[in-house]
Amino acid sequence: MFELGPALHHAFELLRGFAVSHGMSRDAALLLSKIIQANILVLGVAVIPMVLVYAERKVSAFMQARLGPMHVGPWGILQTFADGVKLMLKEDVVPAGADKWVHFLAPVVAVAPVFVCFAPVPFGQGLTPVDLDTGVLFIFAVSGVSTIGILLGGWGSGNKFSMLGGLRAAAQLLSYEIPRVLSVIPVLMWYGSMSLGTIALAQHGRWLGILPKWFIFYPVIGQIAFLIFLISSVAETNRTPFDIPEAESELVAGFHTEFSGLKFALFFLAEYAYVFLASAMGTALFLGGGDGFLLPNGILPSWIWFLLKTFALVFLFLWFRWTYPRLRIDRLMQFCWKFLMPWSFVNIALTGLLVLVRQR
Amino acid sequence: MSPSLSSLVFYAFSAMLVVTAVGVVTLRNVFYSAVSLVAALTIVAGLFVLLGADFLGAAQVLVYVGGILIIMLFVIMLSQQPRDLLQRQTNDQWIAGLFFALTIGVSLVRAFTYFVSQTPPDGDIAPTSASLGRLLLGEMLLPFEAVSLILLAALVGAVVFGQEKNA
Repeated sequence: MFELGPALHHAFELLRGFAVSHGMSRDAALLLSKIIQANILVLGVAVIPMVLVYAERKVSAFMQARLGPMHVGPWGILQTFADGVKLMLKEDVVPAGADKWVHFLAPVVAVAPVFVCFAPVPFGQGLTPVDLDTGVLFIFAVSGVSTIGILLGGWGSGNKFSMLGGLRAAAQLLSYEIPRVLSVIPVLMWYGSMSLGTIALAQHGRWLGILPKWFIFYPVIGQIAFLIFLISSVAETNRTPFDIPEAESELVAGFHTEFSGLKFALFFLAEYAYVFLASAMGTALFLGGGDGFLLPNGILPSWIWFLLKTFALVFLFLWFRWTYPRLRIDRLMQFCWKFLMPWSFVNIALTGLLVLVRQR
Repeated sequence: MSPSLSSLVFYAFSAMLVVTAVGVVTLRNVFYSAVSLVAALTIVAGLFVLLGADFLGAAQVLVYVGGILIIMLFVIMLSQQPRDLLQRQTNDQWIAGLFFALTIGVSLVRAFTYFVSQTPPDGDIAPTSASLGRLLLGEMLLPFEAVSLILLAALVGAVVFGQEKNA
């Protein structure tokens, strides 16, 4: 059992003490340690997509009875690094009809919010980078900014396929944002907090000594909320069966048709980081965060549990992508507005009733 | 945050806000204007957070940047014509407009200086969402519901006007 949070906390205390004893002012040391912590988070977020790309290729390969990448490193583990180097060395092509500045800005705007979004995620005991009181709202708000990057990419490429992809992205992401936010409201109502850390901590405990008190196990409300959250998260991350904005059989590659090299890589970094973020949010909101189960307490530290559950959810995302066909755009919108929205309202009303019953 | 650092951040944000806000009303390309409005509203959210209004900052980004501006960009992309990219935003009345804007600006400054003299509360400002919720659903319930009704009416009106005539 090794809890990373307190250890890191201790290490930074020691470092600060060392800096102060060598003549650095207390404020400057604090600021510097914050900057280092932020950089650790940014690096982590930048590395996660590499793992996810490898996982995606392997999972898809096994689902289709293939081997997937096998040659670079053992079982092709270094394939993503090779791809990263390739993408960095590739020529950056800007089409003649493109708007140079918007074309440049698009991947930046798409990827920058991702790094900020991970700030309120409770990765384990004492491992919340910034425990914001408005954590859930903050993540929804900031992740919405990435949509603007996709729109910029669609408009700035000067290409009708990109433009169509951008328009579809705007319509889809804006629509699915609503059931996604509404599906989380029951959780916020039940625990009376918007801080992801508080919500995850409140789910520790057992019913009858066996069943974990995770929100997903609350009868009816938990399951409906989780399903709506999962479905709209898949739509929000532009993945099959909701990958209308980049549908390759209709739109070449949609909004990122005209992007190559590092710009293309940034779009993909954003997509995979959002998959991880959605899974991490699902873990903290519905699966009890770093709470363990089955194994006796304390065998695995909370951050390992958190990562295990998050990667289980990531696997669901990959599974959906390689087993479901793509939805048509009108059905996609109907599904959102006529099915997910009403049910999320019903779920909120149900939760309100249950909260009333609990207060009695 | 120490006072000097927070005022540094404040002035940096304000400078960026002024530059982007001027960009919104002067750039000739309508798409660029919309993009600088995105930047301006995001910086306003930053200012809200700096003032300790965490809920307001997040709501600002969620509603304005993540919602309304995406719709605006959507509309621009749908209805775009080549002449929109070289449109002048001002006409011969710009001097009168400038005078009008200055009047509003000066009166706003006069109004706010009244509050600046009152000292702000000491120490860290507490999270606002819980107290905001209590206020909205307690003391301010009637105005809150009235505003919701007006928004609902606007929504229904938009649907009625948007319906196809010979459907």
